[in-house]
Amino acid sequence: MAATEQARRPAWKTLLFSYEALLLLVLVAEWLFFYFAGTTMNRRGVVVGFGTLDRQFDILRHSCEIGLLAVALTPVIITGGIDLSVGSLLGLCAILFGKFWHDGGLTIPTAIALTLVIGAAAGGLNAALITALRLPPLIVTLGTYSLFRGLAEAITHGAITYTNFPSAFLFLGQERWLGLPAQAWVSLPIGVAIWMLVHRMTFGRSFRAIGFSPDGARYAGLPVNRRLALVYVIAGVVSAVAAIIYTARLGQAKADAGTGYELFAITAVVLGGTSIFGGTGTVHGTMIGVAAIAVLKNGLACLPVVMRMNAAEEMSGLLTGALLLVALTAGVLPKIISELRARFHLGAKT
Amino acid sequence: MRHYFRELSVAAVLLVLLAALAIFAPAFYQPQPLLSLATREAPTLIVACGMALVIIARQIDISVGSQFSVCSVSAALLAAMHWPLALVLPASVAIGAVLGAINGALIAGLGLPSIVVTLATMVTLRQGLNMLRQGEWVSLPDNVQWFGLSQTVGQWLLVAAALALLVALGLAMRHLAGGRFVYAVGSDAEAARLAGIRPRLGTFFIFVFMGALTGLAAMMNIIQSPQVQPLSGVGLELKVIAAVVVGGVAISGGRGNLWGAFAGLLLLACIAPALTHLRIEAYWEKAIQGAIILLAVVADGLRSRKGDA
Amino acid sequence: MSAPLLELRALAKSFGGARALRGVDFDLQAGEVHALLGENGAGKSTLIKIVTGAHQPDSGTIAIAGQVVEQLSPAASHELGIACIYQQPALFPELTVAENIALRLEPSAALRRIDWRTRRNIAGRLLAQIGAEISPETAVRKLSMPEQQLVEIACALGAGARIVIMDEPTASLTQQEQHLLYDVVRDLRASGVGVIYISHRLEEIFSLADRVTVLRDGESVGTHRVSDINEAQLIQMMVGREMTHIYPPSEAAPGAVALALRGVGCAESGVRDVSFEVRTGEIFGLAGLVGAGRTELARVLFGLTPLDAGEIQLDGKKIAPSSPADAVAHGIAYVPEDRRHHGVVLELPIAHNMTMAIHRRIFSGAWLRFGAERALALDFIRALAVKCRGPEAPAASLSGGNQQKVSLARWLATKPRLLILDEPTQGVDVGAKSEIHRIIRDLAKDGLAVILISSDLPEIIGMSDRIGVMRGGTLTAILPGNSDPHAVIAAALGQNGRGAAA
Repeated sequence: MAATEQARRPAWKTLLFSYEALLLLVLVAEWLFFYFAGTTMNRRGVVVGFGTLDRQFDILRHSCEIGLLAVALTPVIITGGIDLSVGSLLGLCAILFGKFWHDGGLTIPTAIALTLVIGAAAGGLNAALITALRLPPLIVTLGTYSLFRGLAEAITHGAITYTNFPSAFLFLGQERWLGLPAQAWVSLPIGVAIWMLVHRMTFGRSFRAIGFSPDGARYAGLPVNRRLALVYVIAGVVSAVAAIIYTARLGQAKADAGTGYELFAITAVVLGGTSIFGGTGTVHGTMIGVAAIAVLKNGLACLPVVMRMNAAEEMSGLLTGALLLVALTAGVLPKIISELRARFHLGAKT
Repeated sequence: MRHYFRELSVAAVLLVLLAALAIFAPAFYQPQPLLSLATREAPTLIVACGMALVIIARQIDISVGSQFSVCSVSAALLAAMHWPLALVLPASVAIGAVLGAINGALIAGLGLPSIVVTLATMVTLRQGLNMLRQGEWVSLPDNVQWFGLSQTVGQWLLVAAALALLVALGLAMRHLAGGRFVYAVGSDAEAARLAGIRPRLGTFFIFVFMGALTGLAAMMNIIQSPQVQPLSGVGLELKVIAAVVVGGVAISGGRGNLWGAFAGLLLLACIAPALTHLRIEAYWEKAIQGAIILLAVVADGLRSRKGDA
Repeated sequence: MSAPLLELRALAKSFGGARALRGVDFDLQAGEVHALLGENGAGKSTLIKIVTGAHQPDSGTIAIAGQVVEQLSPAASHELGIACIYQQPALFPELTVAENIALRLEPSAALRRIDWRTRRNIAGRLLAQIGAEISPETAVRKLSMPEQQLVEIACALGAGARIVIMDEPTASLTQQEQHLLYDVVRDLRASGVGVIYISHRLEEIFSLADRVTVLRDGESVGTHRVSDINEAQLIQMMVGREMTHIYPPSEAAPGAVALALRGVGCAESGVRDVSFEVRTGEIFGLAGLVGAGRTELARVLFGLTPLDAGEIQLDGKKIAPSSPADAVAHGIAYVPEDRRHHGVVLELPIAHNMTMAIHRRIFSGAWLRFGAERALALDFIRALAVKCRGPEAPAASLSGGNQQKVSLARWLATKPRLLILDEPTQGVDVGAKSEIHRIIRDLAKDGLAVILISSDLPEIIGMSDRIGVMRGGTLTAILPGNSDPHAVIAAALGQNGRGAAA
């Protein structure tokens, strides 16, 4: 029987046929395509374009901020919620960090610590409104999306840019350490920690149960409100971390930092196989999703055709949006097909 | 009047703001700047009307900003090719309707959540437009601006048109069966199905209508200036959603009306000029907007928890 | 006599393996109130769903006004003038009463102008006709459940329904509202409408109905004129089966008092003044009709609704569970009635479902231990004989009975002091049912205090050491186990033995 066969299917087989594996395959294919189509040799015989190691580090460097946001959004979306405010919070935290250091005269480590606290508090605001007042996350975080960005603009009068950070701090965003871009050493542990939280700890179990069935989770005695609060606070703190890395990479903090990042982060999460309805999703899927988007963006910039058009950024955005639509449609296609089939059979019988 | 408590309270806040302005900053009440303000907000009002419908039907559309940009640029290009305005206008509306139909088909046809679908179409449309246009502005022939009329006449015309549309739609939502179907679908799609309404078809048409209104709004936008820039719609979606929610349309569907959305929009639109006149720095606008959205949502939340006043 | 308004012949319907209807004959004349009586699970709701077109019968015929109807869809049923007043009305909560009525009555052309005054007048007239004091201008979400029912009736009336089905319409009404409703039903009858009236209240049936049909185990066991039959005979017809099911014998040696309730009440859910004790090793059955307050009481004990009167003692300690998590910490376990929404999370694997309430105990430091989880799941799968592909199979892939075992396992894993079982064998096939009975017995034998809520009369009589009977939110009687079924039914119906003795 098919059922028993499926039951005895070894773990590696399940893993091999998972959505994440498929996505990984797509990522590899994508990378190979750009490797062959986007790498050239210049007149002096030096390899330039997509295939260089520098380019790989660049991809990693650029995916850190979006990656952090996307990874933090994964548990939020698994619980069936959403957080639109992460990009704005990134901007607010970047500004506050700059202000703490520049105007407040704090040392960099103190400023970082304080910024993380701000991130947690901002996440806590979302959490409080969503859990205590049972307001829909979509509209709450839409409000804080506006609020956080607005505060950032108010603080900087829309004009001030904090720069001239010490080089020791800029190292975090612009240099390599032990072979990898420095920010990777910050982002990867956070990614791993959230992966652990979602896949290896009881918290992840609660997130899924809440996402599938909030009532079912409550009847099982799970602390639904505390778990929901946790995911939004994590999203806040991680946004603050992303803000610091962002500031270190660019060497400046401006009020428009991270504008539109929430869209890319959500796209990466959904592309990574997390259901927007809640319940299913993996952090590694999100990471592959982030990588796929980053490779696309960087790879396009290396294609001679696109370089002539000078539209790599836009084209990658376009393709990302289209990719999201395709992934969404693919997700519901089996259901639609079986519905149509049922209707057809029903029609044939009567 | 208990029926309109929510809408009236927004109107009351608006009146307080206007009264404060009258006392502390009478300079606010100068006809020309006020008319300019109203003209600037006229296209937004059109989009807000559509958004109110979408949210009453328990959906959301965050792609309107991108639709607006696409319609603006397309209409401007047509006008620049010396199409008569009488043709450019329906073309712009039609383009918007097609874009809305794409959203509608994915949402109503495939049953995908509107928030993600419109997020995807928002990104796709915006980036597609940027790719094709490279941020290039479109210069319009002289006869396009204000339909070739004088500025004041043109402004009055736009404001009057927007208000007329608001009133027509507002009345239709109340007095046409189709308007009530929107409420029924948003209130309980399953009960609507039992009552013989087709919720999926209705949802599809609401998105088409939303797109058409956006196309119209884009047209009202391009005639205001001699040049059209491709980023004109950025952030529009949040502004109109904020206006609609502040105006008492419940994000959970089925509740609210266009008059409330209108009051909400006026309130948000007055903040920026009010700040200038009250000598508060204008950078606070967005933060105050966010705070107002949160306040409105929290008030609604508390009200529904108390089981209705 | 002219052809009956509605005639059902040998109607049968199965869901999966369970036979809900095994051959029901039923007819309804114009201008008659025909009561349908039967225990929960006797097939009443399936019958309604077939008549309203929600389900298609497997076999049998439906004839309306003498015409055999081949395919009855909800729309067709509506068109033929069949209206059903459900206990849970399907209204638009955000819209006004007038509008709700209008949406059912008016044509569905979208560009039609709405005449609000006429709408209001029609709604006002219909509501006045049934004596409901509801303003047509009120939003439906502000109405109470009985008021919403009246709106439903007004809809049916306005649609000119010829056949009106009422599913326990008075279950949640006050005395005064009931009498208004009786008048409405009589008016409907007088105007030639056929009413199928489903109720558990015998006095209501006797005062209102012309004929009564009793359903039992998916079969119609008899139709009588109300004037030809008395209450005792009706109860006999409802119960009247030989015990087809062998219940494991009670081996109870009840110990100390585990749970004691004194005057427990909860205004929110209508529970008031409930007092009883349950001893360790005892199975305390809670009998009563749907809506009698049994599930509501369980929800108070489990911290889902707030306790606001009286006190609960567990093992002599006063407790007031504020949330399910709190109740679990006190050693209370609740296997809820709605298995698919509350009992298990369908999409999650069996193992995850089983460990969901013991995260703290089994996963020390919040780290998942897959080995321990799998071992525990396999233990329970073996102990409770859960038929499944393995611990990784999602709960949705199981049959109802096996889902119930998973739900049970989740709570047994918490090693509770008190186990509350709410309709544990509802929608469960016969084999799994007796397995669950044996499991419950074994648990009691091991010293667990068990509260068993069930609407299955033989089950509650066969399983319980003592039986508490609830009615109208409070405990009205405590009977010994193995009581006469008639006595239990009579107490649940509020007959105080009088009817049964007559």
